[in-house]
Amino acid sequence: MQSSPLAPASVTAEDEQALSRVFSAYTLTGTLWLLFGTAVGLLVAFKFGAPDFWAEKYLTFGRLRPIHTNSVFYGFATLMLIGAAYHVVARSCGTRLYSAKLAWLGLWLFNIAAVAGTVALSLGYNYGDLEYREWPWPIRLIFIAAVAVTGWNLLATMLHRASRDLYLSNWYIGAGVLWGSIIAIVAIIPIYQHGLGMMAISGYYMHNAVGMWFTPLALGLFYYAIPKVLNRPIYSYSLGVLAFWTNLMFYPLLGGHHFLFSPLPWWLQTAAVICSVAMIVPVFAGSANYLLTMRGRYHGRIESYPLAFLFIGVLCYLFGSTQGTLEALRSLQDLWHFTNFTVGHSHLTMYGFVTFAAWGAVYALLPLSTGKNPGRFGMATHFWLALVGMGMYVIALSIGGSVQGWDWIQHAPFIKSVTDMKTYYLWRGIGGMLMFVSHIVFAWNVWRMTFGKSGDAPSPIMEPEAESTP
Amino acid sequence: MHAMMEGPLWGVIAVASVAGVVAAACFVLMFWFIFKPGEKDPHHPKYEILRRDR
Repeated sequence: MQSSPLAPASVTAEDEQALSRVFSAYTLTGTLWLLFGTAVGLLVAFKFGAPDFWAEKYLTFGRLRPIHTNSVFYGFATLMLIGAAYHVVARSCGTRLYSAKLAWLGLWLFNIAAVAGTVALSLGYNYGDLEYREWPWPIRLIFIAAVAVTGWNLLATMLHRASRDLYLSNWYIGAGVLWGSIIAIVAIIPIYQHGLGMMAISGYYMHNAVGMWFTPLALGLFYYAIPKVLNRPIYSYSLGVLAFWTNLMFYPLLGGHHFLFSPLPWWLQTAAVICSVAMIVPVFAGSANYLLTMRGRYHGRIESYPLAFLFIGVLCYLFGSTQGTLEALRSLQDLWHFTNFTVGHSHLTMYGFVTFAAWGAVYALLPLSTGKNPGRFGMATHFWLALVGMGMYVIALSIGGSVQGWDWIQHAPFIKSVTDMKTYYLWRGIGGMLMFVSHIVFAWNVWRMTFGKSGDAPSPIMEPEAESTP
Repeated sequence: MHAMMEGPLWGVIAVASVAGVVAAACFVLMFWFIFKPGEKDPHHPKYEILRRDR
């Protein structure tokens, strides 16, 4: 094997411990944000049924909703994915982390931004109706600094890799931090904060925060964690490369599909619809690759909870993204736009795909890093509560949102579309409750994998098959 | 029904043609890699990560 242009740093036991501490710290703080953000989300969910409950100005829907979305996006999901990404990049490159200090600096910056953003939103300082970028701009500068520091650290680690080749996970993770930096900077440029330009950039940012930041990071973890757990190589490296480039080609423009039937230029809306349909290529290619890698190991999916989390993550990536393509068609937007169907879709993707991917990666990789396992019962409880809760949530809002849209198409009195949602809001609340309880169990599992007493779960790595490694 | 659903005819044809050719090529490649993954070389990077890590 040829070596990298830069000499790889030799890995010592201290380096391994430093990497393990970084992975643990990101996972722990991410878990705290998960508990906080979803507790707020649960309160918001119940406000649909009881809008006067806890209606003080600090607890109004308008302040709590962006606190929920921003804390689970930039507190929880970002920290969980980055923590696991540090492990994946260093291990797959056969080198040590470029700088543990930079990793800790990034962790502080991410957390400072999330705390300051939450306080600002609580006090009513909201940057306007710009979804997922409601934090005031000075706070978003702190977030950009955190992404830049993290990107520098991850890319420098890749440059010091032990082999000439760069494993597929690193393509996705490296691209994720580069694309994430670009969209975060574009979203803050002053000339894009007015008029139609603001709306175009809002569509660009809100969807690309999902597709160019969380998605490549989560897919990068899949490409490492799934082969690792199965002890079997990824089905097709080339298919992964195709999915990478087609994701880059089709994703950036599709955010405009949030503004169909708006004053945005016709060509921009149409381009967004076309790109949304073309996204079938990277989504099907990626999903097929993961599922074909798992082929014949159905038994393992039941026995290994890390694999079960990853499997659900892959399925939700496939179904959630395909659902997104359908939603982008003008005929179906007519029915679903502005309804709760979209909220169900965003939870199928950000929760079913990204969150299950992050959990699967943590359960698969954190025990290898710390040498401590969670309890088997704890993992099972977390998995089933989260899965059933999410199922209830998504199904209730998908049906309810369709009913809501149909009421509007029929020109029924608006209040009918509100009262028709009552039952679905209740089911959404029950599903949300199950999801929140599962997060408490997850926090306990994380504690056991880091500082607590190791549990009785078996190694996340399954026995290899004879034909797996030539 | 919606004015913006319509566009200039040649614009529609141009966008649909270019997008159609690109998408069709991507689909061909996707099915090619699914049915013929190849990559049998034991030194391929996809096998290395299974060996290097603990």
